[in-house]
This record gives sequence, structure tokens and C-alpha cells, in this order.
Amino acid sequence: MTSKALCLGLDGATFSILDPLMARGVMPFLRDFIKRGVRAPLTSVMPPLTPPGWTSLMTGKRPGQHGVFDFFQKESLEGEYFHFASSQDIQSATIWSLASDHGRRVTALNFPLMFPPPDVNGSVVPGGWMPWRQLRLGCHPPGLFDRLKALPTFDARELALDMALEAKAIEGCADEEYADWIALHIRREQRWFDILRYLMREEPADLIGIVFDGVDKLQHLCWRFLDPSCQPAEPSPWEQEITALCESYFRQLDQILAEIVALAGPDTTVVMASDHGFGPSSDVFYLNTWLEQQGYLTWAEDSNVQHQETPLVGFGQMTRHIFQLDWERTIAYAATPSSQGIHIVTRRPGSDQVMAPETYLTIRSDLADALREVRHPETGRRLVNGVWTREEVFSGPQQALAPDLSIMLEDGAAISILRSETFVQHRDVPKGNHRWEGIFVAGGPGIRSGAAVDELSIVDVAPLLLYSLDLPIPVDMSGRVPHEVLSSGELERRPPQSMAGSVPVVSPDREPVEAIYDAESEATILKRLRALGYVE
Amino acid sequence: MMVIDEQVLADILGLMSQLAGDWEYSGAIGPETRLLGDLGMESLDLVVLGTMIQHRYGRLPFAEYLAEIGQRPVEERDVTVGELVAYVCHHRGRTMAGGPR
Repeated sequence: MTSKALCLGLDGATFSILDPLMARGVMPFLRDFIKRGVRAPLTSVMPPLTPPGWTSLMTGKRPGQHGVFDFFQKESLEGEYFHFASSQDIQSATIWSLASDHGRRVTALNFPLMFPPPDVNGSVVPGGWMPWRQLRLGCHPPGLFDRLKALPTFDARELALDMALEAKAIEGCADEEYADWIALHIRREQRWFDILRYLMREEPADLIGIVFDGVDKLQHLCWRFLDPSCQPAEPSPWEQEITALCESYFRQLDQILAEIVALAGPDTTVVMASDHGFGPSSDVFYLNTWLEQQGYLTWAEDSNVQHQETPLVGFGQMTRHIFQLDWERTIAYAATPSSQGIHIVTRRPGSDQVMAPETYLTIRSDLADALREVRHPETGRRLVNGVWTREEVFSGPQQALAPDLSIMLEDGAAISILRSETFVQHRDVPKGNHRWEGIFVAGGPGIRSGAAVDELSIVDVAPLLLYSLDLPIPVDMSGRVPHEVLSSGELERRPPQSMAGSVPVVSPDREPVEAIYDAESEATILKRLRALGYVE
Repeated sequence: MMVIDEQVLADILGLMSQLAGDWEYSGAIGPETRLLGDLGMESLDLVVLGTMIQHRYGRLPFAEYLAEIGQRPVEERDVTVGELVAYVCHHRGRTMAGGPR
């Protein structure tokens, strides 16, 4: 019999929320499934974010290898423009393409970075930032969209992305909008499940994956209603209503998971995973404002201080930084809040003047040191608990496209790239923000029963899924088959097979500077740095 | 004067008409149709449409194009189908290294 595998993605899921829900009986299926299977913390990649996280799960590789670092990708090594990250940016085979190449049929629903859809043997409906108006273009194979459109509950507008609704998860919404917003996500998960159920019945596949991303959305906006430690002693009627609605979302999700696992049948290996974890967040670090205060960045004359009500960057503003910065007097900037990264301007826009390597390394080292010393202006505690160079955190053929420095903040503080009067602002109520530690749950053939194991890496999921399908595992995957989740004797009975990895498409590092870095250019750059007070 | 490849125009008109059918847009779509003002697209729609267009026609400096549109006065922040086609025809195969995205 052909082996089958099912990957249930719970975007942003964390045991710190799921455990209390299971204990209170809101998610009885998940509770019992874990009792029969294996659970583990699942460590995400840097940054713990949807595009690099799910891409790492799909490829078994880290961002420096697969090339996806953020929602947006740098257009060129020296340039300041970014493009919308798409499937074309994944410089690696995925579980979908690998299974297809071995003649297995796949179904992939609501995974990000699946647009334009890969030409796989099976069905793809992309997720992530896929606007509902263009969902047709993202469906594979041709004709799938029209088949789905005929389903009684199909509604592209609610199924795919509506930017105005997405913004509410990040930027907040009025109290009276919470109930409708949560109800939408309850309907939305049902619509995705209706599609999956249709495909599982009509077009069965060997490898099936679906992402439920309402978990992430609810945790962003409704953390204080989900985290028991944030609950007020005497909640207002409105707070009770929203808490109950949040529980309804997870109760329905539990029922959906139960139905999918039942449809898949007892011979299917089931893996549940999240792309990153979650935790509370009360501070916002205005990174570009801090860079300005340190002399690394200068705002353009017509850029404005943002209103406090919308501290995080809105959508559709991927080129905001282009016009907000004075590129004549900026040497380091953050282009997006989500990347948790800082780019160093090694070539001034419109110029061929390139910074000398030793100057670059000095600036980067000094900036990293300064970041490590940032203190919260009110509490005095350290704000940044990790700073890494791209070589340290993104080692691989794609590292040249990564930010020059990446940071992790204390207590899951959020980053804003907007201009502010102070470099830290405090939120009145906590929101949810991403963490590294997500969830891993598995069950089915070959999986241990009733075990809780030490943390796994998100890059271990792809090898495990391929192993479950009796498919060879490319040797260039970063992950491994996690033997600790397998039943005793399973590896001996069925040793993993390996296969050659794909030849990586290497993004060349910065061009050699000797050819264009002449004395005049050097003098200009030094003048610019001196004007900033950066060099004596 | 901008030279427009009739095949590109036909392809993009066909694409927009097919998509607009899913939005229950019943008006005619031609070179003068505005993507935002007439078809009701949003800024992210333009970004994703650019991804698909580059998938078909090869890499284009689309990020710069979006940035330029974003800097226009609010009342001029729109693109017609004809302008989009002209942009693709002008930049196709001449500005950026690399194949289809």
C-alpha cells in the first residue's frame, strides 16, 4: 500500500495557548491526538515569520539556503528596492515538488509563497498575501478554480486575503469590530476545510497539506483574550463575549482537525506544525528612529512623525522607506518591520560609489555593538537580546540577499520602521507577537505513542514527511529525520533513503569594489560618514 | 511614441477580463480602463499582478514602477490597462538580468 502523509499547519500556534484550551476541553480532539502521538516544541528560523518559516518547513532548509527572508525580497544586492516575495524566490525543491517528481500526488492549500503556483502533480490553492481578486491565477492546475467556484460555500473574498482585514490583525481595530472579525475567521477556516474535504474525496493525494492561519491572526489581535495570564479578574460583558468567540474559533478548529484526520484514515502519518510561536508584546521599538538618533539614518525633509495610533507599518507601503529617507545621509536602515533586519547602504542610490569592505565591516561591527547596548528609556533594561550578522544567521548560497544585521528584541517587543518622537513606545494593552518556539505534534503509522520529546527544528518536518512517504531525502536539506518521534525499531525496519540535492542557485555576493571604488569615491563616502559624525 | 505589442495587449486584456469576471465586474475592459478606479483593485492587487506579469514576460523593474505610482498625487494614483501594457512592452527584456520570476 502506498504510504500517505498529512501536514496540518497551524500558523503561529503555541502550546502556551493550546495547552490551556485543551485542559479546559475546548480542543478535545487535539488533546486526545497528542495522548496517542508525540509532541515537541518546534524551533523556527530567523526571523520567526510566516514566509521564511513555512518555506523552511516546505524545503527542510534555512533561509540562507532557500532564499526567503521576509514578505519582501531585495531586488538587487546594492539596491534599495524590494519586491513581493513569491514562489519564484524559493531557490530549492519543496516537499511538493519532490513528491511530485517521484510520481506522488499532492494537495497544498493556503501555504504562503505558492504564487505563481508550482507545476506539481496535484492541486494548489495559494495562501499568504494572495489577494482574493487574483485567486484564480494562483490555483493549479488550470480549471481547479472553476471547480472550486462551483462548491456551495466557495467565497474567494472570504477565503483569500483582504488587506483591510489583514491590517486589523496587526494594527488593531475598534472594540465593536472584534466580534465580526473573529466570526469571519471562523467562517474562513470552514471554507478552507470545505475545499480540502472536496479534494480529499474527489482527487485524493498522497501528500496533503493545509494551513489554518486564523490562529496567527487571532493571537495577534486577541492575545489578551486568549492568554489566561492576561485575563482581568472581573471581565466586562464585552470581554467575556470576545473571549467566548475566541474559544469558538479554537473549538471549531479542533473539530476541523478531527474531521481531516478521520478523512485521511488510520494509514496516514499526520504532522501538525506551526511556522513560529507566539507571546505577548507590549513595547514597540522604533528601529529607524533609533538609527537616526545614533547618526546612521537621516529622514527626508518631508517625512512626518507617525501618529501613535498606527505604530506599525501598514500594507501596500513596501516602498515607503525609499521616499522617507535622505539617501545622501543614511548608512543603515530597516526596510520592513517584519524582517527584524537592518540593511547597510553600501552603494548610494543613483551612484556607483561603493563602500570599501573594511569600512562596511567596521560600520556593521560598531552598529551591532551599539544595538546590544540599547536600553529601555524607562526601565533601563536591555532592549535587544540578540544581534547577528548575515553570515552568522543566514549562512548559505542566498545569504547575500539577507539583511546585514538581524536582531531579536527582549520580551517579544515589536519593531516599527516609522518615524517617531521616541524610539520606544508602550502599548496600553498587550498584543501577540511572534516567538521562535512553535508546536510539533505527530501521530499515525511509525510514530511513537504518548511521548513528549525535546525541541525539534522546523527544518526537520520536511525530512519526516518525505520519510513517511517512503521517499528519499535530499542530502542538502538542513533538517534530519527526527528519530526520537519514531516508534521503536522503525528506523531499522525502514532506513531513510537519501538522494542528491539540487544544485543551488547562488546569489552572488557584493561585486568586487576595486573596479569602481576609486580615490574620489572613497573621499565622497568618507565625507558622508564624517558629516554624520561617524568617523573622525 | 510608445510601441505596443498587440499580443501583449491582447494577453493582458484577456487576463484582466478573466479576473474581473470573478469580481462580477460587468463593464467592458479596454486600454483606457483604470485598474484601481474602474476595476476596484487595491494596491496589493497591483503588486501581485506585477508578479504574474513578470512570471510571463521576465523580470521588470516593477518595484520602481510601483514606487513611482505611489508617489503620485492621490487623484492620479492609478494605472490604465494601456499604460501597464506600454510599461511591459518598454521594459521587457531590456532592464533586468534574469529570466522569468
